[in-house]
Amino acid sequence: MILAHSPIVQLGIRAASPLAIMVGVYLLFAGHNNPGGGFAAGLVFGAVVTLRTIAGIQRPTHAIQIIAAGMAVVVLTAAAPLLWGDVLLDQKVLSFKVPLLGTIKTGSALPFDIGVTAIVVGLVLSLLDGLSATSLTNSPAETEIPS
Amino acid sequence: MTALLAITIIAPLLAATIGLGVRTRTAVRDAITIAGLAAAAGSAIALLVGVAQNGTVVVRVGGWNPELGIVLVADLFAALALPVALTIVLVVEIFAIGQRRTAWGANPELAGPLLGVLTAGVSLAFLTGDLFTLFVAFEMILVSSYVLLTHQGQRAQIRSGMTYVSMNLLASTLFLFGLAFVYAATGTVNIALLAERIPELSSGVRLGIGAWFFVVFGTKAAVFPLFSWLPDSYPTAPTTITAVFAGLLTKIGIYSMIRFHTLMGMDELGPIFLIVAGVTMIVGALGALAQSNVKRILSFHIVSQIGYMLMGLGLFSAAGTTGAILFLIHHMPVKTVLFLVGGLIENDQGTSSLERSGGLASRRPLIAALFAVPAMSLAGLPPFSGFVAKFAVISAGIEAASTPIVVAALLAGALTLLSMTKIWLGVFWGPQNEDVTPVPTAVGNRRTMQFATGLAVAGTLTISVFAGTLFDLSQEAAENLRTPTNYIEEVQS
Repeated sequence: MILAHSPIVQLGIRAASPLAIMVGVYLLFAGHNNPGGGFAAGLVFGAVVTLRTIAGIQRPTHAIQIIAAGMAVVVLTAAAPLLWGDVLLDQKVLSFKVPLLGTIKTGSALPFDIGVTAIVVGLVLSLLDGLSATSLTNSPAETEIPS
Repeated sequence: MTALLAITIIAPLLAATIGLGVRTRTAVRDAITIAGLAAAAGSAIALLVGVAQNGTVVVRVGGWNPELGIVLVADLFAALALPVALTIVLVVEIFAIGQRRTAWGANPELAGPLLGVLTAGVSLAFLTGDLFTLFVAFEMILVSSYVLLTHQGQRAQIRSGMTYVSMNLLASTLFLFGLAFVYAATGTVNIALLAERIPELSSGVRLGIGAWFFVVFGTKAAVFPLFSWLPDSYPTAPTTITAVFAGLLTKIGIYSMIRFHTLMGMDELGPIFLIVAGVTMIVGALGALAQSNVKRILSFHIVSQIGYMLMGLGLFSAAGTTGAILFLIHHMPVKTVLFLVGGLIENDQGTSSLERSGGLASRRPLIAALFAVPAMSLAGLPPFSGFVAKFAVISAGIEAASTPIVVAALLAGALTLLSMTKIWLGVFWGPQNEDVTPVPTAVGNRRTMQFATGLAVAGTLTISVFAGTLFDLSQEAAENLRTPTNYIEEVQS
């Protein structure tokens, strides 16, 4: 694949990754009251790992474990209120004052969203694994086509 | 009570998560899956007892009111269907543990967790109080079932898996459009609020919505002419997977239809339902007669039997809805057992083709006995549960004086008996085929499989024994669906 041999593409994706991740993190936190949320953040992170994969740059592995960890967080935050006798998926909101930033509101919805993000990222990774996307980074001559 | 309701969804999902994420020995993973499914099934049974005594249980997820949030509603109908469905999954998983060490078995690393996700989707579909969550549940079921169907990667599986997923995605897309129509017309997707607002709409819009959702749920339930994906795809999957699909998936379509169309009072659509029901019954039964493979015959019978439930619903009378509910409860375990026996036959003969097997009755009398009971029940012979269910549906038809559908139902019953006889003649009687190559199976594994099948047969017999109680409960559930004021009040209060 040409992408892996192009320094411009490589450098561009390397430089853009942290910025895209910032956008993802913003979406994750914004999602509580504004457009965004865990799913949208996961898609942005997923785009980052996809770009890195096809350009042959290092990216996270262990797709299934990431999905499982995300699902565990989601299921446990959903079920936790039952232990206190509240209903499924009930949430607690915490707000505290931080110097410079002012009042910050967060709650048990945040770990839930992070779990959703992990599931989406894991799904994208396992899709890339399933499509053997890493083999795209090799030039066609080097890749053996299975008969 | 509300916690029980949550456990039926959360426990299988949690078991799936652990099974997926933790790399342990197969035995540990099996134990986790079984524990999750058993917790769900146990909670469902407790829920049924609670609901039968104290009435509907409503959970407002996250504490939001029904206008804004999601509600889970365990009314008597949901509480009746849920334990039957979850017990089936548990029994099939026991069978799967016995079967998986053979070449025909499903891959345990994937099948266990995915079955957990599928089960959570099934619980959610039964319990949900709004149409959008029903859509989500359908998607959970569809995605996990697609992977379960094709994960062995054989050519036939992939090919029929494509048909399966395309038809079901088409239905999902239509469902989404339908949701938009409903929301535009009424401003809500909550079923209780819809039951209030849809009857107030002009009859064109109201019946348009009803017909649209008939197509959506009809595709899921595999009614004529939308059934072509079913007999093609089901027989290719591993036995345990097919058994769960056969017992549950189409039934969720028909369940949604009974809930939606009865609560919304779509009585005018009755004649269309009855015509489709009659054709579905006959076409399914004739299709089964033309097959020469145990699993394919049974797959066509799923279609045929759906017709009976649709007939009960289409009569739009108290007796008809009662019959449909009772038929649903009887049909889920019977169909699953038959596919499990099909798996035993396949295991013993190395094939489920009628021409290449034979003489099983003398060599494996246990399998013959395990087949005979649910087969007679499916054909509707007394004293089995199938007789009670068919009798309820057909007598409702006679009561409503709908002669054509009653004739169709009786004819389809006779055809069912004929094709069950065909299986019996082909597989159990006749000379033993010389060149059978049984699937190599350890004795312990075969015992596990037979134990699970026996357990399931015992389950269907239990339904026959408690048919009276179940009939009363079905009658009450039908009454609640036909007079939605209770449902509306309980969800809103």
